[in-house]
Amino acid sequence: MRLAIDGAGCMGHGRCYQVAPDLLTFDDEGYVTVRGETIDVPADQRVAAEDAAGTCPEQAIALLED
Amino acid sequence: MTDTLPPAAVDRELGGCPVMHRDFSRAQAAGCHWEQADELRESSPLYFNTFAQGYWVFTRYDAVRDMYKNPDLFSSASITPWEPDPIYRFVPTQVDPPDHIQYRRILNPWFAPRAVDGAEPRLRDLCRRLVEDVAPTGGCDFVTGFALRFPTEAFLSMIGIDPADADIFVPWVEDFFAGFGGDPDGVAAMAAALAGIREYWVAALEERRGEPEPRAGDLAAHLLHATYDGRPLTDAEMLDMLTVLVLAGLDTTRAELGYMFRHLAAHPEHRRALVDDPELIPSAVEEVLRYYTIIFGDGRKVTRDVEFHGASLRKGDMVYGLVSGANRDPRAYERADEFVIDRKRNHHMGFANGPHRCLGAHLARREMQLAVREWLRLIPDFDVAAGEALVERGGGAMMTLTHLPLVWEATR
Repeated sequence: MRLAIDGAGCMGHGRCYQVAPDLLTFDDEGYVTVRGETIDVPADQRVAAEDAAGTCPEQAIALLED
Repeated sequence: MTDTLPPAAVDRELGGCPVMHRDFSRAQAAGCHWEQADELRESSPLYFNTFAQGYWVFTRYDAVRDMYKNPDLFSSASITPWEPDPIYRFVPTQVDPPDHIQYRRILNPWFAPRAVDGAEPRLRDLCRRLVEDVAPTGGCDFVTGFALRFPTEAFLSMIGIDPADADIFVPWVEDFFAGFGGDPDGVAAMAAALAGIREYWVAALEERRGEPEPRAGDLAAHLLHATYDGRPLTDAEMLDMLTVLVLAGLDTTRAELGYMFRHLAAHPEHRRALVDDPELIPSAVEEVLRYYTIIFGDGRKVTRDVEFHGASLRKGDMVYGLVSGANRDPRAYERADEFVIDRKRNHHMGFANGPHRCLGAHLARREMQLAVREWLRLIPDFDVAAGEALVERGGGAMMTLTHLPLVWEATR
């Protein structure tokens, strides 16, 4: 699974790295560091990735099955 | 009760949209605003309210989210639907893209998680001291004894102002929001409060002006050295920014704390769950922000004629997104009408949405987490004192409990 964050959609709510702290983290302004990027999701982080996508108030996180 | 009068005749085509005439500015029994939001949302996705000059009301999650996410259609030039041409202009609150983000970039780092992490030991000390002060007494008005003090001291500490100045700011903020919420008797006091806050910041900026380096951790000093599009900020910009930060930072977290502790007082099983498993505190806080959303609704001004979620909007119309209704919309949430303490996928709009997402969100949620942790450590059991029914300020500004008398077994 991969996780893609829409760079224009992310507004820095910080909900994703709160529910998936072992997968995502923040920059100096409070945005997720991988804003606008697509990252691989390790097998043990699948549920965390789904929680992150489901909790984003901007619906800026997409999950892509390999 | 909310005034519900027969709607005035509307001299335009509304496409069959239900018309109402409601004044949301009055204080009501605690919780009434959410009951109204539920009732409005389930009866219709859209209304035209003939209060003031008249404005559209969107009641459901999808439309409120789309209002927030389309600032090209919905300007923040006014965020108060009964005040299309306000006398104040908050920066960056009332600035639209693309200028908006340039102001936000100056401010974002001050309230980002990294800054909050750095301040946490200090914030915990402020919180702990306040709880230690009240714990032995066996009871207090939670609003004046804790909820007004902790966020104010925490916020001032974050921006490098002596937390003791909380005593100066709290009455101004109270007066401002009484007028802002639509109480016509409060307008003069609101103007006086705004003037007082501005004078405070004029003096603070004067004191710092000309210093070669900005004082560390001091936001006013930082603004004097900041640039916008390659030029220094004007005095007007700095004053607008500092003023709105005070208003937003001091009133809102206080309101959420009130509802959170009223909930905990009424739900011993939730107090116990949080004591037994403090890892639940963050999700409980987010659920408070969803279930007890203090933004009754948020206003925007329409920038051009457009069809939007069933309404034929015209340029200059005011719209009101009923955020409190949207956050309890069963179309958007499972068990929307329940407080689910471990809710994971909680995409609430308690901090708004889109580019104007609350600047202080990270600080506010940390304050709420600290408050629960520190309070339950010393006062694991408490009740709302018997007596008068609780009242909340009207939904014109942010809802907030005016008083919350709590009682517990004194600790020593």
